Amino acid sequence: MAIDLVDVVQAIIDGLLFGSTYALIGLGFTLIFGAMHKLNMAYAASAIAGAYVGLAVILMSGLPVVLTFLLGPVASGVIGFGIYVTCFRYMPATNVLAPLMASIGALFFIDEMIIHATAGSPLSFPAIMDDVFLEVGEYGFRGDLLFVLATSLIAMLVLLYVLFSTRLGLATRAVSQQAVAAELCGIASHRTNAKTFVITGVLGGLAGCMAAAAVGVISPLLTVPITVKGLIVTVIGGLGSIPGAIVAGFAVGGFENLFLLLFGVNQRDIYVFLLLFVFLVFRPNGLFGRANRRD
Amino acid sequence: MAYYLGLLQTIGIHTLLGLSAYVLLLTGQLSLAQVGFFAIGAYISGILTVIFEYHIVPGLFVGALAGGFFAFLVGFPALRIKGLMLVVATIAFSEIVRLFFFNLNWRVMVNGVEVGPDSTQGFREIRFYAANGWDALDVVLFIWLFVTVVMAMLWWLDRVRAGATLRAVGADELAAQSSGVNIVAVKVSAMTCGGVIAGLAGGLYAHSATYVDHLTFSVLLATFAVAYPILGGLSSVFGTLIAVIFIQGILIEGMRFLGDWRSMLFGLLIIVAMNFRPAGLLDGSVVARIRRILGRANGSDRGRHA
Repeated sequence: MAIDLVDVVQAIIDGLLFGSTYALIGLGFTLIFGAMHKLNMAYAASAIAGAYVGLAVILMSGLPVVLTFLLGPVASGVIGFGIYVTCFRYMPATNVLAPLMASIGALFFIDEMIIHATAGSPLSFPAIMDDVFLEVGEYGFRGDLLFVLATSLIAMLVLLYVLFSTRLGLATRAVSQQAVAAELCGIASHRTNAKTFVITGVLGGLAGCMAAAAVGVISPLLTVPITVKGLIVTVIGGLGSIPGAIVAGFAVGGFENLFLLLFGVNQRDIYVFLLLFVFLVFRPNGLFGRANRRD
Repeated sequence: MAYYLGLLQTIGIHTLLGLSAYVLLLTGQLSLAQVGFFAIGAYISGILTVIFEYHIVPGLFVGALAGGFFAFLVGFPALRIKGLMLVVATIAFSEIVRLFFFNLNWRVMVNGVEVGPDSTQGFREIRFYAANGWDALDVVLFIWLFVTVVMAMLWWLDRVRAGATLRAVGADELAAQSSGVNIVAVKVSAMTCGGVIAGLAGGLYAHSATYVDHLTFSVLLATFAVAYPILGGLSSVFGTLIAVIFIQGILIEGMRFLGDWRSMLFGLLIIVAMNFRPAGLLDGSVVARIRRILGRANGSDRGRHA
């Protein structure tokens, strides 16, 4: 099969647009890592679960479909708080493995809950603006993906505002730099961490809704792949780096779609994972990561 | 009876899988790649006994070596990075292995029958036990022979200098390095040992199940592998065995009446256990207490001074 340049560029464009959801998921992982130096493996599961709750409320109440994209993130924020309380709040601060393991437990618990509630079958998820198709020369932009991109960019700007221009953001950054010193300055670190989990939960819920809307269906089978992709984005961007997660999210989305075009759906992910290993060998701290970080 | 023999096989194989993660956890590294080595061992030993008609013992041996070899290869890039990054790298490795076998199609005619891995259809013809007239009890004894040997070796490891070195790296890398321990060498050795054990477990699994496909080697199985030693505690090899018996014997098989609610229990159990016993069931203080009780019963010197 001959693949010409137009196809390649088109694939990369679609990938970059979809990559904005990876960027949001990667941001969530990286924010929690930055705040607590721990990984929340249940993060993508809470994102998908939030999208499910949003969809369920809409289906049962008959409210307008757009509200899914509001209710999903809210539900996901609540779930994020629940994960903080059950998997992180009462763990010894120096033990990294226990919360990691507990959050993996939460990942499978949430997954099984969804499978139990939906009898394991995927549900169709409403897309926004999927009848719009923007054509620029030879290239086309899918309306639903443009909506995903726009919403993600707005969410990122809001996040950056919260982090760098509010008292809460100041507290979050203080706790992430030096938890003990932050406590001595009167910052309640547990409460700050809980808020970080809620914020990232909302972000994740938005990403979950976006990913489901772009794919068209939502299924519990999405959680593990999105978790893995989110982690890859986090590592490529550099653990704890916010610009890194954003850039790496778009990059992984673009490369993934390019590999899909070149190697087909069965082998696509092999090459995405090999990309990760290339980074681990040549840039183990990621694109924007600081060297000599002790985690 | 056949049911209980099957359960004993599963417990034995999962104990080996858990112990492969245990070795690496002693050095403080959490690896979700064990399922990748397990898959490599399963496919390679299966291919050797089915396509090349080897006996099972050399088949398992080569499968275990292959697991160790790939662990060694993954060890170098992966262990340059620490802790949480390793988790991500090892998940990616396991998924690469799974997708490789998902795409692997190698069908050959052996004795007039077409056999071999058939990509998405899986690898169906691993019938060494049946073809050679081993019954379920023989298989159980065969598996537990390996479990006993591996557990004995790891138990012995804890009593020699090498084991102390592993634990030193796990307890504080910087301190271990300052005392002249080559931490990369220690971690890569632990990774290789874990890979050999996981490869062996994979080979045993393939021959017990007679059928493997890529779905078996999921992130869920990788989680089981690390969950056993973490839930059981890292202070003793017996913690892993107890955790496997509890999860496979009681939680999965014993609670069949709960239906699909049961699969939620695994996740919930990990959350609850980590909150109440973050260092596992058999943590340092419990092991010390058991040693004291045993020591008092024997009246030995070691018990009194422990």
